Amino acid sequence: MIDDALGAAPSEPLKLVLYIAGQTPKSLAAIANLERICAETEPGKYVVEVIDLKKDPKLAREHNIVAIPTLVRQLPVPIRKIIGDLSDREKVLVHLKVGAE
Amino acid sequence: MAIAESGYDTLSAEELRHRLEEAEDTLRAIREGEVDALMVRNPRREDEVFTLEGDASYYAFMEAMNLGAAAFDEENRLLYANKALRELLQLPADQVDANHLRAALDDVSRETVIALMKDAREAKRTAEIAMLVGSDEMHLLLSAAPLQLGVNRGLAITFTDITAKVRAAAAEASERAAHSIINSANEAVVVCDVNGIVTHANAAVAAIYAGNPVGEAFADVIQLNLPMTGLLQADDIVSLAISGSSVQGIEATVPDAPRVKDVLISAAPLRVGSDKASGCVITMVDLSQRKAAEKQQLLLMGELDHRVKNTLALVLSICKRTASTEETVDGFQVAFSGRIQALAATHNLLADNNWSSISIAEVVSAELDPFVSSAQARLRVEGLDAMVMPRAAIALGLVVHELATNAVKYGALSNDTGRVQVKVTKNEDEAWLGIEWLESGGPVVQPPVKRGFGQTVITRSLQYMASGGAEIEYPSTGVRCRLRVPDEDVVSA
Repeated sequence: MIDDALGAAPSEPLKLVLYIAGQTPKSLAAIANLERICAETEPGKYVVEVIDLKKDPKLAREHNIVAIPTLVRQLPVPIRKIIGDLSDREKVLVHLKVGAE
Repeated sequence: MAIAESGYDTLSAEELRHRLEEAEDTLRAIREGEVDALMVRNPRREDEVFTLEGDASYYAFMEAMNLGAAAFDEENRLLYANKALRELLQLPADQVDANHLRAALDDVSRETVIALMKDAREAKRTAEIAMLVGSDEMHLLLSAAPLQLGVNRGLAITFTDITAKVRAAAAEASERAAHSIINSANEAVVVCDVNGIVTHANAAVAAIYAGNPVGEAFADVIQLNLPMTGLLQADDIVSLAISGSSVQGIEATVPDAPRVKDVLISAAPLRVGSDKASGCVITMVDLSQRKAAEKQQLLLMGELDHRVKNTLALVLSICKRTASTEETVDGFQVAFSGRIQALAATHNLLADNNWSSISIAEVVSAELDPFVSSAQARLRVEGLDAMVMPRAAIALGLVVHELATNAVKYGALSNDTGRVQVKVTKNEDEAWLGIEWLESGGPVVQPPVKRGFGQTVITRSLQYMASGGAEIEYPSTGVRCRLRVPDEDVVSA
């Protein structure tokens, strides 16, 4: 998984949660796009958790997830959400940038 | 839906805006096909994943969301209004069109929406409208953005109910206004809650209580002494006002107050809207100046009373003595009225000077006026500028009157050649100011065979103190009188 690819965070990594719905095309695309984005940055910058809501729909409550796929920047606060398959790399990076509101 | 119940009324404006942006972003992502699954709540109120398949799914999603949303085509025809919007604006459930939406808006809102739809064809725009739904005013935040519908350029508008937020802002503004009104008041104003605890106090309260009364019980911090029977205390005033009765204009003293110790206290229930009292407003008007004026008035009345009594005693004594020395009623009438007029002349002078000191020259001139007005050249006065206090002025007035009467009857003013000289003498080692009355050029003087009242007045009037008094001599060349005004009654220049 992506967690393994990124390894341990050296200092204050951005904690990301990607919500997917099983094997839908957009979910698969989102995983692939996020893996590519992470690979382009230095290791340890992101800690990513992938939650499959097909398996455990209740987990959608924590971040009030409506549409899938959705990537949540959980830390640092404030929480930011990026809805969609993350194909717009620039947009994703802008949203993930700390302090970007 | 998995979207939490709105709870919009508890959110801050910023959070609300953030939620709105999130909802719009969700819609955009759905519109633009960036998502392919949604979280929905099944009839058992469990969350489950709903995979989108075709238009029906989008429609189901739009219907289920609790944000009002509408779509228009290029010609501004209403293509679709979701369930939340139909309920918000009380539009019909079926076959809703632009006319229904138009009818739901008043003229001002309609103009705003038309302008918004025009501007939003180019880029996203927002606007606020207010409208009446039933008897309640509702505030809506509209957000409009271009929407590509196949080959047509449509428009999507979301409607968010921000009534609670607007009301909260209005309430906040009104509270700020109330605060500034309280703070601008010259009187001390204290606001208490239902428990009599002070919640607001303006700057004027500092004159009555040195500390910060906020958070304390009013009756504990403002120690009022109420002048009545003791039945009414500070906490009673507060309780009365909180229970809905106004208390108006009670005079009270605040012994511990740093500056203002006399106040006029009033209290009224604090009503927010038409509800029952949610506290009370207490005003305390500074009575210090009024109290000082009242004290001054009392003092003056006491002084007046004292003077009237003294004057009456003096008049009574003049009357008795005049009666005992005059042999006829006519003689009594002339002598008595002359003396009363002499007294009145000095009184008038003193009254004109607010009963402060007056100059000896003024007294002498007032008393001699009736006798020598046609023969000023025969009177010479020297150095009479010294000022004397009312007690000495009255005595001096009576003495000069007697001397002048005597001079007119028997002395220097009884013929055409006589003269009178009045001069002041002062020796530093004497405790009095000397005034000499010297007559000359009159008929040869014969000492009186009996002592009349006039003589008594002359010799005794200034004897109210040991250093005061007078001596009169009758040398044949003219009457000579030396008066001594006690230093205590002479005002040093």
